Amino acid sequence: MSKESQRIVELKLPEDQSQLLGVKSQNDEKAEAFTSAFLRRSMPGASLTKIECALVHKAVVLKYHKKAGPKKTKRPKGLSAKQRRELKVFQLKPEHLKYELFLPLHELWKQYVRDLCNGLKPESNPQVIQNKLLKADFHGAVISVDRSKCPSYVGTTGILVQELKHVFKIITKEDKLKVIPKRGSVFSVEIDGFVSHIYGSRFQMRSSERSAKKFKAKGNIDL
Amino acid sequence: MRRFTRFYLVREVPVFELLGEECLEKTVRTGRFYALSYKTRIDQDDVVALLPTGQLILSVVKDTYEQLGLEGRPSQYAHKRPMRYVVVIDLTDKSMAPGSKRYDRVLWALREKVPLKTDFLMACHSVVGTEAWSLPPCLSRYPWKELQASVDTQTLRDLPCPVLHGDDLRGETACEPHAFLEWLGAVGLGIGCENEATSFLSTYECPEPRTLVDQAVLCTVTGLLLPEDIHSLLEELRRYFDQPKSSSWLSLVVHGFADSPISWGMAEHGFHKGGENFYSFVLFKNQDYWLHMGTGANDGCPP
Repeated sequence: MSKESQRIVELKLPEDQSQLLGVKSQNDEKAEAFTSAFLRRSMPGASLTKIECALVHKAVVLKYHKKAGPKKTKRPKGLSAKQRRELKVFQLKPEHLKYELFLPLHELWKQYVRDLCNGLKPESNPQVIQNKLLKADFHGAVISVDRSKCPSYVGTTGILVQELKHVFKIITKEDKLKVIPKRGSVFSVEIDGFVSHIYGSRFQMRSSERSAKKFKAKGNIDL
Repeated sequence: MRRFTRFYLVREVPVFELLGEECLEKTVRTGRFYALSYKTRIDQDDVVALLPTGQLILSVVKDTYEQLGLEGRPSQYAHKRPMRYVVVIDLTDKSMAPGSKRYDRVLWALREKVPLKTDFLMACHSVVGTEAWSLPPCLSRYPWKELQASVDTQTLRDLPCPVLHGDDLRGETACEPHAFLEWLGAVGLGIGCENEATSFLSTYECPEPRTLVDQAVLCTVTGLLLPEDIHSLLEELRRYFDQPKSSSWLSLVVHGFADSPISWGMAEHGFHKGGENFYSFVLFKNQDYWLHMGTGANDGCPP
């Protein structure tokens, strides 16, 4: 209703423009009186306050601008396990699964262990070497299963590709990826004549956590 | 009894030698070859046996089983944690043909992983008419000895002996079979059956009714005796009654090895407090017989 009346009022102005030019200020009152009288006539049921409200000019905000504050640099949170699984970061593609491709890794690992143990001399103390190996990373080592509760695992040999919390992922010479659970098996790692036996049941932790862990001699080492 | 097959005692034979192609040809393929590891205790050590059906049975300790890498099952006579495992390999099976993956795996396990070495008692029954079997060259390179079953004969005089009737199994008129078996064992061991008040060694008594026998012959044969030989011995004993003789019965008792991994077919044999497994035939004049089959605590029931 108010829109219509406003349109009617606006329409009227250009027609009477030449007549109203000189006497604008007066016509304000006149126009107001005329408008209110007209409104009263056109809206018989509406009260005076309602008419007043209809004539109030309200500003309509069309756009909203926020002040740009100082920008905070976000720390990369890393991916969650779900995202990691989706991205398949830890999955090896079949074309990468060749034994020859991992041999350079094995050379790197040998170099790393030699540096770690300050060169493997025949007279070095095996106890010291063992302690160092407990905290070492085994990715790239040639591992073989020496004894196991399940006899079909015995004898599998290969380069360690991935060490997870409970399993070793090994690639054998026949280019087969074998997943061997740590529990209930004894693995043997050979480096420069030193053979070290790892009891898998006591080794069940992520390689990153193992470097900070103190090993206690608890219980028996029976498989 | 001189016709018992000769058997061989071969020392320090690695078990993988038995899997060699040439060895298999001369031993397993004949179908009459028997081999058992010598002086290995069934409850403590690894025991190896090769049957005429071509099955190689390894009864191994837990440590050996975990290192060996061949699939087997835990022993029946184990407590909470099995300490003993039995691995059965059928050498006549198609999958065990030389050159196949399974054959290579078994050979690798027995040759490189855990080289099992034991002394063996071996024998092979030869068919009547052909020449006697001898050790093949793959086995004769190890120190070996050829042995004959030793026979020991004793004549017992004035022996109280129970009276038996062939068809009387319940012991109504004559001696009861179980009591008779006990008496037989006592005689075999030489235990006096007088049951005197002063003797504290045994209270065995000869079961009633009894008679006094002038002479009795007790004959003991020791060695690796083959079933075929025992069968022919039994036939001979049956023929003994063809002519009229003064005795009314005779008995043949056969004991199995206390350390054998199997008894009575393929049932597993263990050693609890004794490793007995035996059977005894009691033959009567009228060709009736009683057959007792006895087993120890860690054994299955005989068929």
